[in-house]
Amino acid sequence: MEQDLEGRRAHVTGAGRGIGLAIAQRLAAGGARVALSDVDEDAAKAAAASLGDGHVGLRCNVRSTDEVRAAMAATTEALGGLDLLVNNAGIEVGAPVPETTEEEFMRLLDINVTGVYRCTQAALPALAEAGASGDAAIVNMASVAGVVGCPLLSVYCASKAAVIRYTEVCAIELRQAGIRANAVCPAFIDTLMVDRLAPKVAEVTGLDFAEIVAVKQGRKGTVEEVAEVTAFLGSDESSWTTGAHFVLDGGLTGSLL
Amino acid sequence: MARLDGKVAFVTGAAQGIGLAVAQRFTADGATVVVSDIDDARTQEAVQAVGGGASGIACDVSDEAQVQALVDGVVQQHGRIDVAVANAGIAIVEPTVGSTLENWRKVTSVNLDGVFLTLTKAGAQMASQGGGSLITIASITALAGTPLIGSYAAAKAGAVNVTKTVNTELRQHGVRANAICPGFVDTELVRTNKHVFEEALGIEDFDALIEQKEGRYGRPEEVAALASFLASDRSAFCSGGHYVLDGGARASAL
Repeated sequence: MEQDLEGRRAHVTGAGRGIGLAIAQRLAAGGARVALSDVDEDAAKAAAASLGDGHVGLRCNVRSTDEVRAAMAATTEALGGLDLLVNNAGIEVGAPVPETTEEEFMRLLDINVTGVYRCTQAALPALAEAGASGDAAIVNMASVAGVVGCPLLSVYCASKAAVIRYTEVCAIELRQAGIRANAVCPAFIDTLMVDRLAPKVAEVTGLDFAEIVAVKQGRKGTVEEVAEVTAFLGSDESSWTTGAHFVLDGGLTGSLL
Repeated sequence: MARLDGKVAFVTGAAQGIGLAVAQRFTADGATVVVSDIDDARTQEAVQAVGGGASGIACDVSDEAQVQALVDGVVQQHGRIDVAVANAGIAIVEPTVGSTLENWRKVTSVNLDGVFLTLTKAGAQMASQGGGSLITIASITALAGTPLIGSYAAAKAGAVNVTKTVNTELRQHGVRANAICPGFVDTELVRTNKHVFEEALGIEDFDALIEQKEGRYGRPEEVAALASFLASDRSAFCSGGHYVLDGGARASAL
């Protein structure tokens, strides 16, 4: 593995499993020290322990400003600062438009959008300190669902579109502070989230989910592939890239038919 | 193990600027690189500048037979093509309203025809061998109207689109095609045309405009780093995409 993140101090939210865990693993393999946070504290601590020494597992419910602040403070204390924030924590709601409840909508936005806001706000002082002497970066987990509509994912799509736009403004305003901000937009990835969605999509569309995936994107992406794009955007390799959203979707959005 | 170990790559327009930086980066990453530019003299310049065992095949990318000969030549030398970078490009800086069809065709023949020829011929070879990565060096001018380089911008927009189309046709054969859209990069192409922009736009300092939009000029090496990522197997699920690097210019309404 290339040491493309040597010396970086990173925080990954939602790092207990799935894409977040894969990102933490990739950052660590690239030489970073990583604070892994998750609403499931046990999962975060187990994940951190599995990465070996120098990493830390933290509880963080991104719905709680207090918990977010505490997690960022614990991160800078454990790692001596923060160079890279990966806002990965997120949830999905898979439901037809008329059946989507306001409660679900508000809860999802609170996690997927306001959660990104809370973590970014809390991490900014530490990121600015890192940005003053080098390269600091924010990578937000958006989705292809933030670029284009997807049936059953109205709320999720709205949240991920919001993340992309928020990322752009962060990029513009924080450039002077030496902080880059970019988003990652995966299509269907091999995760529990997609496993949960698959039967609902099949039921509502009348199409076989595996077939949709095969036709539209060739196969499911892997969590490691999402982690590679995240690592690229978190490293010096992307030093002039800010305000961008990098799509990885097996050709899904690049094709009209 | 370096990131592109064992891969065979060619780069068009490799004598200077972004193309040269891409060829140098691929070489440093362990790839076997064939460099190309419009004539023998410039192609030899590229070979010298890249070093590391690179070979050269001259190619005018607007000429179908020459592009086919480039593809055939790389296969003859190295047996396969894993990565092809359609980078060669030119610009004529002048108001689009009032320009001539001759100038329009001069630019689009290289920047659009050249990309079409490079992607389709290298792509066919890749499909026949079971896979590969096609990379188009486009531009953020593909994404918005751009004063004074209308032909360049239109060709780049077409280049992004044909990249995506080639991707849809070849992805079932394991071939990926992606475009890179840089903002203004510190290259000869930009430096020599700066004063034309200043004059026509009625601004005193083009550099100041770039600083406001992009923070600073990009560096060819930064474009090369993204090309290296897209060339490598690390980006296997990146397919039919266009990737912007521009210091934040496109993200801002202002």
